[in-house]
Amino acid sequence: MSRQCFEYHPSTAYRFIPGLKARVPHESGGYLIRANSDGFRCDHEFSKARTPGKRRVLLFGDSFTAGDGVSNGHRYSEVLETLLPSTEVYNFGLPGSGTDQQYLAWKDFAQGIDHDVLVIAVLVENIRRIASRFRRYQNDQGQEVVFAKPYFTLVNGALALHHSPPERRPIAEDSLPPEERAAVDRGGRFETIRKLINRAGLKEIVQKVTGYQPVPEYGSASNPAWQLMRAILTEWTQAETKAYAKPIVIMPIPLYQHVEGTSSAKAYQKRFSEVGKDLGCTVHDPLPDLRNYSSEDRRKFRFPIDIHPTREGHAAIAKSLAPTIARLLPEI
Amino acid sequence: MSKTVLGISAFYHDSAAAIVRDGEIIAAAQEERFSRKKHDPRFPKHAINYCLEEAFIEASDLDAIVFYDNPIASFDRVLRNAMTVGPAARDQFDKAASAMLGHKIWLNDHVKRALGTLGKAGSVLVAEHHMTHAASAFYPSPFDSAAILTMDGVGEWATTSLGVGRGNQIEILSEIEYPHSLGLLYSAMTYYCGFKVNSGEYKLMGLAPYGQPKYAQQILDNLIDLRPDGSYRLRTEHFGYLDGMVMTNDKFHAVFGGPPRAPESAITRKEMDLASSIQAVTEEIVLRTARHLRKETGERNIVLAGGVALNCVANGKLEAANIFDNIWIQPAAGDAGGALGAALIANHVYFNEPRKPHAGKQDRQKASLIGPRFDSNQVRAYLDRQGYPYHRITDDAERMRAVAAAIAEGKIIGWCVGRMEFGPRALGARSILGDPRNKDTQSVMNLKIKFRESFRPFAPSVLVERNHDYFEIGCDSPYMLLVAPVRKERQLPMDMVKFRAGDDDMLSVINQPRSDVPAITHVDYSARIQTVTPESNPPYYQLIKEFERQTGCGMLVNTSFNVRGEPIVCTPQDSYRCFMRTEMDLLVLEDCLVWRHEQPKMADDENWRKTYELD
Repeated sequence: MSRQCFEYHPSTAYRFIPGLKARVPHESGGYLIRANSDGFRCDHEFSKARTPGKRRVLLFGDSFTAGDGVSNGHRYSEVLETLLPSTEVYNFGLPGSGTDQQYLAWKDFAQGIDHDVLVIAVLVENIRRIASRFRRYQNDQGQEVVFAKPYFTLVNGALALHHSPPERRPIAEDSLPPEERAAVDRGGRFETIRKLINRAGLKEIVQKVTGYQPVPEYGSASNPAWQLMRAILTEWTQAETKAYAKPIVIMPIPLYQHVEGTSSAKAYQKRFSEVGKDLGCTVHDPLPDLRNYSSEDRRKFRFPIDIHPTREGHAAIAKSLAPTIARLLPEI
Repeated sequence: MSKTVLGISAFYHDSAAAIVRDGEIIAAAQEERFSRKKHDPRFPKHAINYCLEEAFIEASDLDAIVFYDNPIASFDRVLRNAMTVGPAARDQFDKAASAMLGHKIWLNDHVKRALGTLGKAGSVLVAEHHMTHAASAFYPSPFDSAAILTMDGVGEWATTSLGVGRGNQIEILSEIEYPHSLGLLYSAMTYYCGFKVNSGEYKLMGLAPYGQPKYAQQILDNLIDLRPDGSYRLRTEHFGYLDGMVMTNDKFHAVFGGPPRAPESAITRKEMDLASSIQAVTEEIVLRTARHLRKETGERNIVLAGGVALNCVANGKLEAANIFDNIWIQPAAGDAGGALGAALIANHVYFNEPRKPHAGKQDRQKASLIGPRFDSNQVRAYLDRQGYPYHRITDDAERMRAVAAAIAEGKIIGWCVGRMEFGPRALGARSILGDPRNKDTQSVMNLKIKFRESFRPFAPSVLVERNHDYFEIGCDSPYMLLVAPVRKERQLPMDMVKFRAGDDDMLSVINQPRSDVPAITHVDYSARIQTVTPESNPPYYQLIKEFERQTGCGMLVNTSFNVRGEPIVCTPQDSYRCFMRTEMDLLVLEDCLVWRHEQPKMADDENWRKTYELD
């Protein structure tokens, strides 16, 4: 048994079950998760008013931010709190989500929450998730079903929201028309080949030999997926600035191929640098700091099988991010 | 300094995990509830995961991880048995040796693989099997001191242990060792009567009232040498378990005039009489041992554990005999309870933690509701995700009114509310409930809901304040571990002429109302009682109270929420699946009511009656 951790939500498609306390079996031996009453994996209850004497950071992202694989206390959000005195970090991380759903989470759950800095942590792979319209899920009878997710398209340069609210019920994948079926998030490219290679235990060798580029969408500024990502970030940061006028940090989180040097990060680094300049946001790229560790240490930033950050990975991200946040926070 | 200890039992049957913090039981659960494999003996990784979840502790922060028996001592027994018996014991040795060497010896590896750590102790500690039973009986009891009696099939060597608990210390005074074992004698008869060893013992006990103890003297003359102080020696030449993989042999069969009954074949008068006979012998041994223990210890209280302590008929006789003033029985008396005992003994003896104070007569077992709970948020998340219709009634009184009314109308209810029970009995957290006044309840529940043998009785959950209105019993029975007679004035005469004349058709007896609460009255006018207090299980108490308000009857029929061969349900998912596969009318999941007639047809292409091995 593992507990069902998520419930339907009309805005983001799902969220953690409010008040959830669970231990998730994992190759690490298992990890503890606790969700607050808003359905986010955060030890803080989200309060609009300031906690006296505390500075506050709002943090959005996917499972790398929510902390799949480690207990709440070992995530980079909590490590940041130990590195930055008198600072609380509200973690809005939502596993499996794209930047689109994270933006919707900001709209739905963060309004009116007084804060000092907003951090948008974009796992670089999120560029693929924002193009998807459905996600896969295994139901309680072990059958694979898909659920709709909200998504944006660009219509005349503006974002148009679809699947809002998303269908509550599971959908049989084979009942979808071909165009929709192509928009099911399958967790990466080349699904069949990937499965075969993974099963043979050849993943890392094949990736190294082929110079595998996990996120080619960043290759060109005119790539439609990047255009969509850029539009989401633009609308989000503009809305944040209009409402709160607080510093914004965009942090592209690299994949392990980038950290371990088997894939080039140049393309996505360039794209995020451009967008940061255009939007007037701080872009914190942790990759140079992460690459400073020895290759042995870098390998410890992820689990043997699971690619999510280990405690060591989270600690390294926090250590890299802390000085940037510290510069933007007000004096105590 | 706070101490948190994880106890584990595994690799025989009913593996389990338990977690104790500073002597307080935080959580305990059997692996079968998660793996959905009845009596699952495998390493209890799911149960451990749950215990750590409930305690909300990192595995690396555990002060100790304790295994419930000593694998080296167990192996010593197997080895010495093999040397004594010779080549005939080879099969048994091979099987036992591979279990010991293949699993138990590598405990550290199992734990490390499952948890990624061995905790602060850096190694798995081991306890003695009967010591863990004794600990599971004494430490959670409401007594500051008590005599301890543990009886089961076999641990390392001990099969029966007599001891005393005082403060936070336990002392074993004497033991009976393998191959002499009351548990194995009962199991041998279980096997001979065509039921499954380690699960069918309960059926044999349920069958006993249909028979007469005609074979009791033959058992005493041929199978066991019983002494006045309750100690005994088995006549081992009649048993197959020393030199083979079956419980009985030809000499055993010769005593009773033929081969064992084939499983699932018709039950005859012979099995009824054998069941009655072994039950009578068991009760005599328990009573003699208890008298001896009282004399030896001078204690006024007795606590019990080990598989034999699940024999609630014998327990009822012990209670009625007034040998001790008070009796407390560990509800997870079998090997699963060893996990709890292991954690407790490490806490109190290894770490020398004092016992937690307790309020009045209340014990420290927390009504044995120490398993997982799935709150309303989680229930609704599940039902919503699956698209199953339900009605949420957040007002407790309104919800109880609706459920009690349904029961009073003859509906059968699946009830999954609160934390799951630890131990083999459903105590009103994962229960199927019905109206005890209805004469059809027993057969409907047996045949349409549980899909099990029709002779098996159901138990009542009675409001503690109404206990003596219904039953002749001198104490409360919170864990359904005491059997006592239904009060004389409630009993109805039965027509037993045909049955006593030799007609084996038990249905002719079962279908007769035996009291004004026929569904819970066994053919000998006894009932296996669970008393419910407002403190022990508030929602369950409220439900029975509301049923009493509507009908005047302060009790419900309570049977475990499962079908034959299936482990008791744990999650809302398990509950829904079991509900839809049977003919229950209403499923209560916390504050959500799920009516069968509103549900979509279940896409269930699994031949589920074959999924669960018959018990």
